[in-house]
Amino acid sequence: MRPVPAIPTLEWLKALHEPAMTLGWTLQQWSDIVRLARRLRLLGRLAYSIDAAGLTTRMPEQVQRQLLGESRLSGWRTRALTWTMGQISQQFDGANYPRVLLKGGAYVAQDLSIARGRLPSDLDILVPRQAIPDAQRRLRNQGWQEIELDAHDRRYYHEWSHETPPMRNALFGMELDLHHNILPPVARMTVDAQRLLDDLVRAGVDGWQILNPVDQVLHCAAHLFLDSELRDRARDIVDFDGLLRHHESDRNFWPRLIERAIKLSLVEPLQLALRFSCGWMQTPLPETAREELSRNVPSRQRQFWLLPLLDAALTPTPPDRSPGHRQRFAAIALMVRYHRQRMPARLLLPHLWHKIRSGQPSERKVDDGA
Amino acid sequence: MCVTGNSTALATQIQSVYRHFPFQCAGEWADIHARVDDVGGWRRLIRPQVVFSADARAVFAPFPADSPLPLLEWGCNWLIGHRLNHLLLFHAGALERDGLTLLLPATPGSGKSTLSAALSLRGWRLLSDEFGAFDPDAGCFRALLKPVALKNESIDVIRRFDPQATIGPKFPKTRKGTVAHLAAQKDAVQRRAEPARPGAIILPRWEAGSATRWEPIPPHAAFSALAFNAFNYQLLGEIGFNAVLSIVRRCLAWQLIYSDLDDAIQTIEQAWPTVVERARQ
Repeated sequence: MRPVPAIPTLEWLKALHEPAMTLGWTLQQWSDIVRLARRLRLLGRLAYSIDAAGLTTRMPEQVQRQLLGESRLSGWRTRALTWTMGQISQQFDGANYPRVLLKGGAYVAQDLSIARGRLPSDLDILVPRQAIPDAQRRLRNQGWQEIELDAHDRRYYHEWSHETPPMRNALFGMELDLHHNILPPVARMTVDAQRLLDDLVRAGVDGWQILNPVDQVLHCAAHLFLDSELRDRARDIVDFDGLLRHHESDRNFWPRLIERAIKLSLVEPLQLALRFSCGWMQTPLPETAREELSRNVPSRQRQFWLLPLLDAALTPTPPDRSPGHRQRFAAIALMVRYHRQRMPARLLLPHLWHKIRSGQPSERKVDDGA
Repeated sequence: MCVTGNSTALATQIQSVYRHFPFQCAGEWADIHARVDDVGGWRRLIRPQVVFSADARAVFAPFPADSPLPLLEWGCNWLIGHRLNHLLLFHAGALERDGLTLLLPATPGSGKSTLSAALSLRGWRLLSDEFGAFDPDAGCFRALLKPVALKNESIDVIRRFDPQATIGPKFPKTRKGTVAHLAAQKDAVQRRAEPARPGAIILPRWEAGSATRWEPIPPHAAFSALAFNAFNYQLLGEIGFNAVLSIVRRCLAWQLIYSDLDDAIQTIEQAWPTVVERARQ
């Protein structure tokens, strides 16, 4: 595949692995980087890398304040996440089905280095589909309430989605997403959740399990390219890179990952994620894996229209500009593609019509506050 | 603070209430970057609006186009309250005298902005009318100086209290009623980098027609007035707890019930020597 074009505004991502490069940044450069990194929810990760290398006190004083502030924010959110996981797990005592932590919760439960300085936005958990009513009942008993939705949205979640409506609880200050799969069941590219459930691993936190490490990598890639708005999602690439690096020394990891990607039909999102993480962050990719993957690239025709759209959508707007038309168009085009993959046309058209009529955006907006 | 935007009304409004602050057109660094823009498109013809954004992302729903200043002030306070987590941010007015901080926590109905404004017009150095910003590493309060936001009746109260005071344009019908901003005094602006040690905590309560009442309060009451009126007390965890503890141990604390501003200020000033005395120990 054609490599990802260099993006000067994202050069600093490399500092997550080579924190010493921050010593050469001018205050002016720092100003842009702090602002963009914060918006991308990566400032805490940067602060952690710099701190772990013992370089914090060598940063300009203004920068130190921002890094310290964001580290504290991340620490608080992570403590809240851990506490929430513990409290929910008690609520599931005696349940005869697995409870699985996804994404940020799973990274914390494994004490991965990518969890340090990370800013979790919500807690994502997965249970088998048939256990959803029981899980909802247990969560409601603990005071979790689904956000208010109209009849159409309730039906959307109930029939076409891989998660239930987000739940909130005043005590926890963190949104909870209850899933029964990692991709929508009606999508063209979907996953048999049972396969994931058959391969779970124990988490480092009582009462919880996590996806098999190869499935965690695939989930990260699939979520980014098949289940989300792509603007400002560089963080998912950073997570993806971090997961692969974590397993770098395991020589069997790559063969298992590729085998699993083929089995679950998730080779394309894996390749797309690799293209960005190798281009932006020099993710180490063994030669054998590279060869094996090159036998499986998307068609030339598909690359021709898909890659420029992805490049435009994933390139973040600099903090002093407004999003350009190119990026906006790419984001919309990919959103349409994403919805087309997610739902057959007979479902999609009424869904979009409802959204236009009720004047809401088609996706729930992620609030970046705190 | 760095403000950009194309809202035409904003520049004049900023110049009026930030009159003593140094302005610069370019700089290497700002802790807060804010943008206020007129909303374009056809809607402008029916209902002109302004939108506040930070780092290329809109933070709130748009405001009517003729009140960009309240939007800027509100937005910047939001950014400060969410981002400056290197400081412990109490929701409180803060003023300085003799190197010591007088903290006015914002318990409901406290009228802390009105009292902060009045004190700042009687020679007390304003640190902030909104944020008691404590630096846990240095053990002192920092100024986060901006214009004082006066609401509804407070505007006329302060105008009567000091007819010379510089108060910017009145903005009726904002989300918080009528709002106007009192420019910070020149001295407070020039000395905004000077820190102040903890001095006293006063819980003000404005009661119509009441005589001035002044009662000492125990440290645990001062503790909860501070900790549970903070923007990021929870977020700072142990650091926050220890900081509040150290503040209430060093401060004298009172409750002040008043209706007459002059009388209230006189009461505070009479008690102040004991605060200075205590700080020397």
